[in-house]
Amino acid sequence: MKGGIKINTRTINYLALPILVLIFWESVTKLKLVPVSMLPPIEMVIESFIEQLQSGQLLNDITISLQRVLIGYTISAVLGIGLGTLMGLSEKVNRFFMLSINSVRQIPIIAWVPLIILWAGIDEASKIVIIVMGATFPILLNTINGIKLTPKEYIEVGYLFRMSKWELLRKVYFPAAIPSIFVGLRLGLGTSWMVVVAAEIIAASSGIGFRINDARSLMEPEVVLVGMIVIAVVGVLMDQILTRVLKKITPWLN
Amino acid sequence: MSSSNLVIKDLNKYFRVDQEEVQVLRDINLNIRAGEFISIVGHSGCGKSTLLKLIAGLLSYESGSIIINDRQVVAPDIDRGMVFQEHRLLPWMTIKDNISLGLKGLAPDKKDAIISDHLELVKLTGFENVYPRQLSGGMAQRAAIARALVNSPRCLLLDEPFGALDALTRIQMQKEILRIWEKEKTTMILVTHDIDEAIYLGDRVVVMSSRPGTIQEIIPVEMGRPRDRGSADFAYIKKKILRFFFQEEDNALQYAI
Repeated sequence: MKGGIKINTRTINYLALPILVLIFWESVTKLKLVPVSMLPPIEMVIESFIEQLQSGQLLNDITISLQRVLIGYTISAVLGIGLGTLMGLSEKVNRFFMLSINSVRQIPIIAWVPLIILWAGIDEASKIVIIVMGATFPILLNTINGIKLTPKEYIEVGYLFRMSKWELLRKVYFPAAIPSIFVGLRLGLGTSWMVVVAAEIIAASSGIGFRINDARSLMEPEVVLVGMIVIAVVGVLMDQILTRVLKKITPWLN
Repeated sequence: MSSSNLVIKDLNKYFRVDQEEVQVLRDINLNIRAGEFISIVGHSGCGKSTLLKLIAGLLSYESGSIIINDRQVVAPDIDRGMVFQEHRLLPWMTIKDNISLGLKGLAPDKKDAIISDHLELVKLTGFENVYPRQLSGGMAQRAAIARALVNSPRCLLLDEPFGALDALTRIQMQKEILRIWEKEKTTMILVTHDIDEAIYLGDRVVVMSSRPGTIQEIIPVEMGRPRDRGSADFAYIKKKILRFFFQEEDNALQYAI
């Protein structure tokens, strides 16, 4: 009984703010304080959601965007972890890349979009390049950090057991860096998702970002809102899934 | 000295600190017989841990020599095992994987047999698939000892291995290490700042002085085992060792004891 009450207060704790926001939204639209063209009532958004779900449009949009994220994110992960490991291990490699990486990193990803469109057009390639540009840095920097912070006591153990360079990397550096690499992977996934939507809004003929922008030009705010809510939900779900996977492959951390 | 297992001759070691050479060890000469238990005591910073790392092959030295069975030490090898103050088990590996770090190129069944033998030796049977985090301090240190012994090294280097344990566990572990030593007949070199521990375990106690580290005296402990920490002989040797550390306060100490 006590456990039940505990879960209830916790759930209320979690849901209180979203519910308040919904109540506010509902009252504002019911009282007609804002025009429907600016903020449609919740019912309209739900209707639009069901309609888009039934027509298959919503699923299609999400699938296209997710596909882009999957490809771009995978490239980012390989690039970020690979280069990050090298830079973490070797001060020379680190010095070679660091200045350039730090400079490029300062440019907001959106500022890259025009140039990337000039180079790669508005089809799939440009979206993937944009994701890679956005998601690689957090993964890279966290990998470098993790590798560099490998306790030297453990490296000494590696020497004692006469590990080869490769063994040292596989059995000491890499596992020691994993918590930090995971932080990078989570940040990178979040960035991928945000960046793909932004890129689709600017230049695309498909995907969830395109849908939002298209609906804006058609004056359909309810479609815009459905798109935004779906983006949030998918983002949270992806983060949850990634966290579970990472937890699963690091049994020593929990 | 034909029975010597480990010969350290005119060993000098310097560290470079802020462009300046600082001598850590000066003219270390020490002959250790095969199967002997040597305790090294000294103030912190006297270079005793450095000496152990040199024997392990983790550090290089400028002059002199360290020779084990007619071979100069240049790098770590499986004829020497080492245990540190922290257990240093790799947290991402199970106890079994940690212990098998030193076992290379063996058939899996042979490997398993060696691992279970060593787990039994340190009384950790049944903990194969546990992660280090799940073990208590004393258990983790026993696992570390098993890991160091798995290659049957001729020499086990112990760098304050019980320093981080509580007093009761420490006494327990000292008994354990004696039992293991008697069973395995490994040469043991123990660095400690616990004089009781040094006397309780060592055949000889090497007293080191600091800056630069030199061997001040080597005191044989001619007592049978197990040793009684409360005996008069024990107290006599302890007093003798303490005198090296507190020479100027010698008289005061006499009264204190």
